[in-house]
Amino acid sequence: MILKALWQKKASRGAAILLLLLGLMALLGPALSPYSYKEQLKNGEGEILSHMPPKIPALRFLGIAQGRSTLTDRRLDYLEDESRYPAGSVLEVQNRRVSESGLAYGDVVVDYYRYMKVEEGRSFWFGTDQLGRDLWTRLWRGARISLLMAFLAVAIDLLIGISYGALAGYFGGKTDLILMRIGEVIQSIPNVILCTLLILLMGRGIAAMILALALRNWVETARLSRAQFLRYKNREFVTAAQALGVGDGRMIFRHILPNAMGPLITSATLAVPGAIFMESFLSFIGLGIPAPEPSVGTLLSDAQSFLQTQPHQVLLPAAVIALLMLSFHFLANGLRDAFDKKEEAES
Amino acid sequence: MGRYIAKRIGLMVLTLFVILTLGFIVIRLMPGSPFDDPNYSAEMIRMLEEKHHLHESIPRQYLTYLKGIFTEGYWGVSLNLEPMTPVWQVIGRRIPVTLTINFLSLLIALPLGLLAGTWAALYRNQWPDHLISLLTVLFISVPSFVMASLLQYFLGFKGGLFPLIYDPAGSEATRLASLVMPVLALSVHPIAMICRHLRGELGENMQAAYMITAQAKGLSLRKAVLRHAFRNSLIPVMHIIVPLFTNILAGSLVIERIFGIPGVGGLLTRSINAKDHWLTVTVLIFYAAIHVVTVLITDISYGLIDPRIRLGGGRHDT
Repeated sequence: MILKALWQKKASRGAAILLLLLGLMALLGPALSPYSYKEQLKNGEGEILSHMPPKIPALRFLGIAQGRSTLTDRRLDYLEDESRYPAGSVLEVQNRRVSESGLAYGDVVVDYYRYMKVEEGRSFWFGTDQLGRDLWTRLWRGARISLLMAFLAVAIDLLIGISYGALAGYFGGKTDLILMRIGEVIQSIPNVILCTLLILLMGRGIAAMILALALRNWVETARLSRAQFLRYKNREFVTAAQALGVGDGRMIFRHILPNAMGPLITSATLAVPGAIFMESFLSFIGLGIPAPEPSVGTLLSDAQSFLQTQPHQVLLPAAVIALLMLSFHFLANGLRDAFDKKEEAES
Repeated sequence: MGRYIAKRIGLMVLTLFVILTLGFIVIRLMPGSPFDDPNYSAEMIRMLEEKHHLHESIPRQYLTYLKGIFTEGYWGVSLNLEPMTPVWQVIGRRIPVTLTINFLSLLIALPLGLLAGTWAALYRNQWPDHLISLLTVLFISVPSFVMASLLQYFLGFKGGLFPLIYDPAGSEATRLASLVMPVLALSVHPIAMICRHLRGELGENMQAAYMITAQAKGLSLRKAVLRHAFRNSLIPVMHIIVPLFTNILAGSLVIERIFGIPGVGGLLTRSINAKDHWLTVTVLIFYAAIHVVTVLITDISYGLIDPRIRLGGGRHDT
């Protein structure tokens, strides 16, 4: 019923389809390309193929991503020199001008793949980075790792948060007071600082990142879970179950929790883009996962210094981050509405 | 109220102390020495470490450190980035530019957010509302650093409208121009937050009985909204302003790096990488202090307006 309500809304249907596509690419994308995420690609002469422009042969009819590159301020009398410009590499010369010393200069548009003597037939769909690693593979592997870290962080967050909140809400009284106070103390420390300290303590790495992402979020989940348990624990079905002699553990997990899941699922869906955001954020301040493993955050932050010459290296991970976050937000909105409707229908 | 504030301030100081301690321990447990420089001989490193008490045991260093702070207000000197400069001096020089971009962002976000929120509420479920809702989700979900990259590429590089990178040696005008994009990038999120909040509040207030009265007395919907509902909705919206500021401040950690602004933001990363221990701890304390103070202000303002609220906390931070 929830899924049906979700599917009927255009925005959440779009978001779900987009997420499926992105997820599929994160799973399969790296395998579609023949290159690995960490191998430094070289041409036949052993030169590293750094900063290759994107080349997607299938898009020839659009005229984009054809592996072209503009070399600025080149001496035009070298154009015929085949040791500098291999045969067929020069496509066009723009901004012809003559310098003070009388030499002809210009911006040379080249087929960068011929220019770098890449074997015919080899193409890097999203180009390569500074170290000559294939960006298609890295981008999708990065998306996979970022999603994996976000999901694991949210799973930990839910596991701790729900049980913690359940204890506080179900038992109430002193337990509630003490548990919630501890939560408040943790929340009074800014998240950025908590994450920074944890990563410094554990050293940069995937496990440290996952823990850092879950470190404080669970308190919010615990609050929500507590509120849900407070709401449900005095309902008739709980009293009835109690009368039948159901124990506390069974009551919490088998009777109350399934009823209380709605808002928790919505909040978990919102926590995923939150984690992706935080991961990129931490990558930017130098606390991301260590090389050579990519994540969307480290890809974006590493590419930042080449924005002017290699804009696609920035725009592609930026687009993946933005799309992931947008679709999770729309999905969460849809879920919230669907659960609200369900509740209305039941009460 | 006085007792409540005193208690909150006590808790605040305690929190800062906990952060100071945690920060100190974690940073001192990090492997490596701030003087790991191939140009230094082992003898020199030993001398430098002795000079800064780095050779002592960690608990002892901690006590020396605390004693310095509490008896003389001495937070240590920068070890690497600006050797021997007191840390607060290093940070202090960078505070103005950071605060400038943060306040400017908030200053821009406030009227725009309020305007958009009111417009959306007035045309509920018509095209302006849908458009604004779409933009709000877009602005809330796309991180500020992604926005910054996009602005930098399209406005700065392709459009050539603003300098790509902050040039501290440039003229007053170029420096101001180079702050435009960072401020824009930082204000996107608060605009959306203010707008979403105001739209929600206005929507609720427009259902209130006094609105029907106002309209029955002949006020147009627009006038009734602006004169009555808007004012009542403003108070809850004002409460998110303070947490938003902390949020912008956290965002500027990254934005300053992207645009090369010499603010406090870049200092955290640089001091961590350079193992400039005392500087790192102090920058952490600087951010933590702003965070807890803003939370305190929010909570007190809640308490002043609604005495029933005496607990809670800012939950709108990054």
